Order: sequence, then C-alpha cells, then structure tokens
Amino acid sequence: MNPPLLEVSNLQVEFDTYGGTVKAVRGVDFTVEEGRTLAIVGESGCGKSVTVQALMGLIPMPPGRIMGGSAKLRGIEILGRKTVEGREVRGAEIGMIFQDPMSSLNPTMTIGDQIAEPLQVHRGYSHRQAMARAVELLELVRIPEAARRAAQYPFEFSGGMLQRAMIAMAISCKPTLLIADEPTTALDVTIQAQILDLLKDLQAETGMAIILITHDLGVVARMADAVAVMYAGKVVEAGSVDDVFYRSSHPYTLGLKQAMPTNKRDAVQKLMPIEGSPPDLFAPPVGCGYCPRCPHAMSVCATQPPLPIPVADAHYARCWLHHAQAPHSVPGIYYGDGHD
Amino acid sequence: MWKYTLKRLIQGIITVWFIATATFLAMHNVPGDPLSGQRATNAAIRANLEAKYGLDKPLTEQYFIYIGNLLQGDFGISFTQQNRQVNDIIREHFPVSATLGILAVIFAALGGVLWGALTALYRNRLPDTIIMFLVILGISVPSFVFAALGQLTLVNLNALFGISLLPVAGWGTVSHMLLPALVLGMGTMAYLTRLMRSSMLEIIHSDYVRTAKAKGLPAARIFTRHQLRNAILPVITVLGPAIAAITTGGFVVELVFAIPGLGRYFVQAVQQLDYTVIMGTTVFYGAFLVFMVIVVDLLYGWIDPRVRLQ
Repeated sequence: MNPPLLEVSNLQVEFDTYGGTVKAVRGVDFTVEEGRTLAIVGESGCGKSVTVQALMGLIPMPPGRIMGGSAKLRGIEILGRKTVEGREVRGAEIGMIFQDPMSSLNPTMTIGDQIAEPLQVHRGYSHRQAMARAVELLELVRIPEAARRAAQYPFEFSGGMLQRAMIAMAISCKPTLLIADEPTTALDVTIQAQILDLLKDLQAETGMAIILITHDLGVVARMADAVAVMYAGKVVEAGSVDDVFYRSSHPYTLGLKQAMPTNKRDAVQKLMPIEGSPPDLFAPPVGCGYCPRCPHAMSVCATQPPLPIPVADAHYARCWLHHAQAPHSVPGIYYGDGHD
Repeated sequence: MWKYTLKRLIQGIITVWFIATATFLAMHNVPGDPLSGQRATNAAIRANLEAKYGLDKPLTEQYFIYIGNLLQGDFGISFTQQNRQVNDIIREHFPVSATLGILAVIFAALGGVLWGALTALYRNRLPDTIIMFLVILGISVPSFVFAALGQLTLVNLNALFGISLLPVAGWGTVSHMLLPALVLGMGTMAYLTRLMRSSMLEIIHSDYVRTAKAKGLPAARIFTRHQLRNAILPVITVLGPAIAAITTGGFVVELVFAIPGLGRYFVQAVQQLDYTVIMGTTVFYGAFLVFMVIVVDLLYGWIDPRVRLQ
C-alpha cells in the first residue's frame, strides 16, 4: 500500500519566551490522503497554525524549536529539510496561503511579479514566461481582466481579490498539497463562500490535497473530507467529517458543536458556551488538557494523559471515556457501533 | 505623477518666497547695518552710501526692489567685499559645498542602509553589538572631533607609509574629498543605520516576508526583493531633512579641512551684517533644500507605488 500523501506523527514544537517555554504543539498526529481535504479545527492558541508552520519550516528559530516527531511526504521526511528528491518542498510540493491577504503580499511588488516568482525560482521560467503564466493563473482564480490586474499592486486589490491572488501564487507550481491557514477569517461572509468554492473547484481540477485550518465549523462541514480537532497542542479527535460531526466521541467536540449558533426555526436549545479557558501551555497539564473544562471529567483525567482510543475505523478520540473501565453513559458521546 | 510633481513644485516656490520674505524682514530688524563699521565716518558719507545702496528708501520699496531682483536671479552686490556680486560668491563656492554635501549624503545613505540591514539580520549577535556601539558613538560625537581625529590619523598614516595616501586638507581632487565627506556624513550615517535597523526588524517579521519564505524563495532573493525595498522607505523619508542638515552643517568641516565652500561666507556675512550676502545665500540654500526635498519625495514615489498612484 502506498504511504499517505502526508503523515505527521508526534510533532512537538516549543517556543522560548520571556515568561518561559511554551509547549505549543505537544505531539500531533494526522494524515492527509492524496486529493482529499483535512480540516484542522480548534480555538485560538491550540497550536493549529504552529503545526502547519512547522511543516513548512516557517517557525522562527530561535525562539521556536521542533522538539521531535516526523512529517513524511509520500514516505519521505520533510521536517527540517528543504527538498524532497530534488524538489523544493516549500512553494513547489506544498503551497500555502495565509489568514490576512492584506498584509501577506509585498506592497511594493506587482501582483503578477509575485505570482511569477515561484515559477522563476522552482521551474526556471524566464520572466516573460512566468508573467504569461501568472496571467493564466489569475484567470484560473477568476480574476477579471487578469492581464491588467497582473500589473497592479496589492493596494489596488480588494481583500477577496488578494486572497485569490494568494491562491494563484500558492498553486503556481502545481503543489500536491495546499495548506490554507484560516484563509477566510479576514474576509466577509459572501467573499468567504466564494473563496471556499474556488478552493473546492481548484482541488477538483488539479487533484491537490488541502489542509484547511479553521475555527469555523461551518467551513469544515462545507469543505472537509476528514477532520482533526485540536485542543491544547494535541489532536483530541480525528475522523471523517461525518464521524466527527454526527458521531462525536470527545466532549470537546461536543462542546464546540453546542457552542455553534444555528439558524433553524424550531431551535429551542440555548447556545452553550464551553466554560473556562484553555490551559496554560507554559506548564501543560499532566493529564488531559481539557479536564478542567470537561463536564464529564473523571479522576483519571487529571493525572493520566489519555491515549488515542479508536471508536470506529479511522476515527479516534483521546478521551478516557472510551476506556473499557469508563462508564458508557454520557449522553451525546458516540461510543462506536458495538456499544449500546 | 505629473500632477503630483507640479503640485510639489508650486509648493516649493511658495516656500522659497516665504524664506526670502522672512529673511528680508529679519535682516532689516537686526540692530545696526552693514555701514555701521568704519566705512561711514560721518553723516554725509553715510547718507551718500545709504542712497547708493538704496537703504534710505522705505522698507516696502526696498522689499519690492529686492524681490524684483530676485526674480531676475540677481542677488545684488556684497556690502563688505569689494566688487563682488553675491551671484559670483555662490557660483564660485557653492559647487564645492554641494559636491562635498552630496558625497557625504551618498556615503551616509549607502552606509546607513547597508549597516542597518546587516545589524537587523544579525540581531543580538556580535556584528549587531559592534555596529550599534559605533552608531551610538557616531551620533554622540560632534563632527569637528571626527574631523580632527581623522586628520590626525591621516597624518600618522602618511608618516608611517612615507607617502601621502590622502591629503590632510585642501580641495581640488577626489582624494581631497574623501575624508571630509566621510566625516561630514558620519552622524547622518549613524542615524540612518539605526532607522534602517528598526525598519528592517519590522519587515523581517512581516506577513509578506513569511509568504516569500512559504514560496520557497532563496534568502538572497527575499532580502533584495522583499525586505530591502520596503525597509528603505522610512530612510528615504528622512533623507530630505538629512540633506538639509549635511549641506548647511558643512561649515565646521569646511573650516577644519580648509575647503573653500559657501559655509564660510555665509557665517562671515552674518557677522558683518552683509545684507545682500546673507539674503542671497539664505534664499539660495533654502531653494536648494526645497528642491532636494522634492527630489526625495519623487524618489519615494518611485520606490513606493502607493504614493505614486494615489
């Protein structure tokens, strides 16, 4: 069997700060299949961005430090390396787009030049060839009057247009994986939908896989094939989008779902926020990170870090509730088909 | 861009007119006049001289004569130096000051950008510490100290090698210009280094540099294409005032190195209340600086498209 496109295991990242060492990512595992979309969900500061930045070698070192783990692209290690079989990882094998398109483009360089750059560097295009291709790419991301637009500067574009240009830039070298780090957070809702549709269409056309980082469960439902829910630097639940949404096995996932507003007419349930705040990652908790906020916490949760416990095929949760000795009685938690 | 240039030029002309008027009024309000030395020995001679130079006319009339002459590019005749037109003084001595000043500015700008970028890239490491120490020195030590130390060093070096590596003072060839320009530009270079460093540090952590890294660009390309051009913008902004500081502040350095620049005449004229020379050189310096600031602004527009196109 072929190895998956990307396999990340036990990734750990730390940052030195004046206040001490922040253990931002504390052993993250996930896989991305060829041509599929993995959504990484979690609240601010849970380590989702740091995880993908580590993959791309974008962690500033110092103060950052990758403490361990591996990330294999088609079975080949990419952590701390720049090339895979002669191909540049960054920009060629993996493209990346960011949260704020307004500040993510160089203000003194034309859009066309910026899109052309990776082609010149990774593909050896001449400036003229690269610019011609840049115009095609702008057309591909549905920017009207692409030729004229390519000669413009970022301040002449709107936020949505800039994100399109970012996408054009990220896919210029036909990467097999596109990492989108909260690509729609800075955009308004109608533009969000357009950008997400565009990503989906491009995925269908090029067959690239996507890692989508978001804290918007609506975006996840719309885009993802698989989901990894992160909390306090760890993946607490992972599975297919249906598994995670309809058969949630971790109390945190359940909490996220209950905290999501709905527009159903007959909704009677109140919005339920998750009480408390995430743990201090200067001194990460010994046991489960979610324990202090978890309504179903048991005594073991405070002392033993939960292991990933499978509840179904390719669906696991890091939660002691799934242990054989735990009571199977928490309403809303899915315990797998074999249980009552 | 043309509209912008035109606008700046008109603003510049108004500024120069303002400088001319202010200088005129200030000069005529200073106690004493150019004739109060030994020249006007009695009232009759004094009256004759005043009539000759037009000093007996009402102030408004003098002002209009002055502005009229100014528009024709005529700054008048020196009161204290025999048979010398102010135009001649400027024509003879300004090119010297300008050459020295421009050389110093180029030296300061190139040095500042280079050292600043370097310190930012080596932040908190040895090169950064050493350069930033020198920068503090460059900012705090006045130029005449550097001038004297520079001359002393040069004398010793010349003696050591037994040949004249560089002349210690005087003017004429490129080798005469090097040391004075270095000394004159030192303070500004130190200042620009600091500015460039902080600007560069900000850029290094900007989102678009992260984007450039994510694109897999080599470090050298990121530096030249994405960091330098953006980091240089604040430096360009202060370059206008820096040119002002250098060209007008060149007087001390000119004196130490015995350079026949305009600065000496400027100071002499102030001491002797030589109306025409003071007004002429002030207006001329003013116009020159206004022009340089406009040039710098246009340069800014050329580097930053946001200024150019909006």
